[in-house]
Amino acid sequence: MVGRIEFEGVPASGGIGIGKVHILEERQNEVSPEKIHEDDIQLNIDKFNRAFGALKKEFVKLKEDAKGEVADIIDAQIESLKDPELYKTILHKIESERYEAEYAIFSTLNEYIHIMENADVEWLNERTIDLIAIRDQLIDVAKNKKQTEDLEPGSVVFATNVSPTSMIELSRNSIAGLVMQKGGLTSHAVILAQSLDIPCAIGVEWKAKRFKNKEEAIVDGDLGIVVVRPSESEQRVYDERKRTHQKKTEKLLQISKKPSETACGKKFRLQANVEFLEELPKIKTHGAEGIGLLRTETILFQKTGFDVNAQLDFYRKVVEASDHSDVTIRLFDAGGDKLLDDMDTESNPFLGWRGIRMLLDETELLGNQLEAIYRLSGEYKDRIKLLVPMVSCVSEIHRLKKRIMDVKDKLTEEGVKFDRNLPIGVMIEVPSVALMADRVAKEVDFFSIGTNDLTQYTLAVDRGNEKISSLYQPYHPAIWKLIKMTLDGAKKSNIPVTVCGEMASKPKAAACLFGLGIENLSMTTRALPLVKSMLCSQKMNDMRIFSDQVMKANSPEEVQILMNKFGE
Amino acid sequence: MVKKTVTVKNEAGLHARPSSVLVKTASKFESDFYISMYGYKVNGKSILGVMTLAAESGAEMELIFEGKDEQEALTAISELFENKFENN
Repeated sequence: MVGRIEFEGVPASGGIGIGKVHILEERQNEVSPEKIHEDDIQLNIDKFNRAFGALKKEFVKLKEDAKGEVADIIDAQIESLKDPELYKTILHKIESERYEAEYAIFSTLNEYIHIMENADVEWLNERTIDLIAIRDQLIDVAKNKKQTEDLEPGSVVFATNVSPTSMIELSRNSIAGLVMQKGGLTSHAVILAQSLDIPCAIGVEWKAKRFKNKEEAIVDGDLGIVVVRPSESEQRVYDERKRTHQKKTEKLLQISKKPSETACGKKFRLQANVEFLEELPKIKTHGAEGIGLLRTETILFQKTGFDVNAQLDFYRKVVEASDHSDVTIRLFDAGGDKLLDDMDTESNPFLGWRGIRMLLDETELLGNQLEAIYRLSGEYKDRIKLLVPMVSCVSEIHRLKKRIMDVKDKLTEEGVKFDRNLPIGVMIEVPSVALMADRVAKEVDFFSIGTNDLTQYTLAVDRGNEKISSLYQPYHPAIWKLIKMTLDGAKKSNIPVTVCGEMASKPKAAACLFGLGIENLSMTTRALPLVKSMLCSQKMNDMRIFSDQVMKANSPEEVQILMNKFGE
Repeated sequence: MVKKTVTVKNEAGLHARPSSVLVKTASKFESDFYISMYGYKVNGKSILGVMTLAAESGAEMELIFEGKDEQEALTAISELFENKFENN
């Protein structure tokens, strides 16, 4: 056997995956233009029809449990397979040009792929991967081979990139891990891997080395390390780590069923931050009491239409998945790092036209979203809340309230039921509103602190800028001070405060926030069990002392030392 | 043959979902259906053709129908454009 190979990539989804290599082949340039004999024309037409029919059936099956954007994509794929022009061209290539079915399919689809790749429209470029998936799967079927047919459960899959539909297919085959040469941390494949707990590394240059299917492989999703042909001792180490990880996860998940109470019996409330429909099953398994932050930007960016009905569909699915708990919907928080392609680039996007600033200008966009949320509030009584991003002054709240009045009038006129007292909250992410919290609190029903943006605006540090990344310090005493001011301001008007930023997902920071008096924390579902077990194991008084100490710290380093010491 | 010029009104343009809706509706009719835009002409029952038009919001296109049920087809498809492909 040839020696051990190690790759270093980017960790994308945690955990250890151990299994046999399965390379998801790509057939680009692999289909050669074979000519056929006249007598074989019918045979090849049959082969072509069979391939289309079989794939169509598969997609129809896939669509059954697909949701949201994935369902739309599958639907478009089914339509593509029914495409009369595609059919005609392929048939012509077999009948008149006498090409073998595989090549006729391959070359025809490549023509469309070429057009899509080179279009000026981004959404069309993005559909290329789906058409490539169709092309490869059609050829597999024509060759009587299935990409996932010889995929044994427990394999470590190596791919260049994985389309959303292939990812669903892969997850059904319970793979042990996923290694991608490309793919971004926010790609659909990665997000699905995370929500399905499949260890995954991306940016792994695995094609630079030779190895085969069925060889042993390990993917360390925590560190982004991939090892092919590991040594025996190494394998034992990883086996052990995998077992520990599994035991830990199982043990952690047990805590989801326990009541949310500190060691001394004080209640707290942990909610989930949610963005994609695929994350919804985790609300139950990870024990979230509702959704503290529903991000709605995906509706905007996926361009599947942000009209009232499409939005309502999305919101309903989310509310249905969160039992009887409440759901806080944040208005489109677009701009800044989530630049829309049809917006002009700004020289300072984070200080620019984003969040509520943009929404107040985009009348139709805001009107549609408010209408959808208010309609929803009538369907699910007392369960919906509205959260406003990027508020920096009170006048923005006043202007928004006027717009809400218009929507209420419209719905009343139409006889639509809705919640007249739908709670309206603001994100505390701009220092000015934290400083003025006591006054802002009189205008709204709750606060939600977004610690990531609050940190970058307070410290004047762009969190995407690597040169100053060491200056991005969420534990900076200034941030704690602003959190405290927000809390004190809220107390005067007796409104609740939630923290929905990354800080809430760090167990010790969460304990400190709770010690300060913040009883609602919202975080990515993965962090829920960890934070819960921290809070359950601590006494209120100790957390209060801890937060007092943190409030007195003079530097981020001092806070860090206190964090390290806490609970040890 | 009947013709009509329409404007893409939905903000995201004729992306995957509206294209699916469009060809699904068009396929219910017997008449031939073509879309002509900026000198390109595609089969309106072909999703790949429609998608590769890459029609964005505000784009104007000419719908051309020919066949027994051309009038009904024209009405149905124009309605889709009018309703921004929302009712499906």
